[in-house]
Amino acid sequence: MALNRRVFQFFFPSLTPAFMIRVGCIALATYLIFGHLLTPFQIKGSSMEPTYQNGEVNFCWKLRYLFSKPKRGDVVVIRFTGQRITLLKRVIALENEEIEFRHGKLLINGKEQDEPYLQGSYDWTLPARRVEPDSVYVVGDNRKGPMQNHIFGQTSLTRILGGPLW
Amino acid sequence: MVNPTRNTGRPLNPKDRVTKKDLSKGQQPMIHRRVKIKHVLIVLTLIAIGAGIFFMLFQNEEKRVKKQFHLLSEAVSKETGENIFTLNQKIKKIGSLFNETCDLHIPAHSISGQMTREEITGYAARGRIHFRELHLKFHDFNITFPKEGEAKARLTARLTGNTATGEAINEAHEIECLLGKIEKKWMFDRIEVVEVLKK
Repeated sequence: MALNRRVFQFFFPSLTPAFMIRVGCIALATYLIFGHLLTPFQIKGSSMEPTYQNGEVNFCWKLRYLFSKPKRGDVVVIRFTGQRITLLKRVIALENEEIEFRHGKLLINGKEQDEPYLQGSYDWTLPARRVEPDSVYVVGDNRKGPMQNHIFGQTSLTRILGGPLW
Repeated sequence: MVNPTRNTGRPLNPKDRVTKKDLSKGQQPMIHRRVKIKHVLIVLTLIAIGAGIFFMLFQNEEKRVKKQFHLLSEAVSKETGENIFTLNQKIKKIGSLFNETCDLHIPAHSISGQMTREEITGYAARGRIHFRELHLKFHDFNITFPKEGEAKARLTARLTGNTATGEAINEAHEIECLLGKIEKKWMFDRIEVVEVLKK
């Protein structure tokens, strides 16, 4: 009987001031955490395969680059106008570095880079270009198919929202 | 014990009464706690409902600008097996949203320069043929009014669907638009796709 009452109380609690304050605090904490610090997102597309699969759910950790800049190899979340639609890409070159793709090999400042996160080979060729200050060069891990069909390039650091939680 | 004088129409719970002990702590006398909280909650709920209705019904300029994007989204979107009547209606609708001439800058589709309303509708009609299914949605609006009769909107456009050959389309672009107010109606004057990733 007491258990039944407790179960009933759990699902239909009395709307006491203390309860309302608790609900308010939880709502505020949830809004702050999941609205501003750890925003959930779902991956749509295969541009980051095999590291991130289509349909996966993850969280964007907004404080990742609060005190530091992205490093080469980091996966970052890039915003458009707001935060509703974002891109998930890997940083392959930092500001003032020279980037080039030569027959499926990534060259930074003329040196060939090892990319363990890639699966299979690709055949992209892109002439060398220097990354502008306060920018990074990003590209997806899935480099299958012609280069023209892929979205990649240089973006401003101000567009980086954070990094995926895992 | 101080008994409340207010008649609430039901027996009082001893817990809800304000005691002399409470009075010494600065508690207000003669006010029934439960009644007070109930009234505050009712007033807050009414204010929230009133504010919600006001914002829903009140058509400000920002909402009017957003409505134009909503109409553009509806007109551009295409369902599988769209009939010729719907196609004509939608193409006409697209034309009615643009000014006589509009500056278009869409590098991905090699479009740059001024186009007349007729050119835009023609381009839209030809473009839609290549898709079996098409959905255009706008998100994250940032609308400002630099001067009277002019609105500047920055937003994200998301295009999804399938081409006539069955290839899936999933594109997102940041867009900057300029709209002018002509006869109380906001019309597109300029549309530019902002380059987020520069190859």
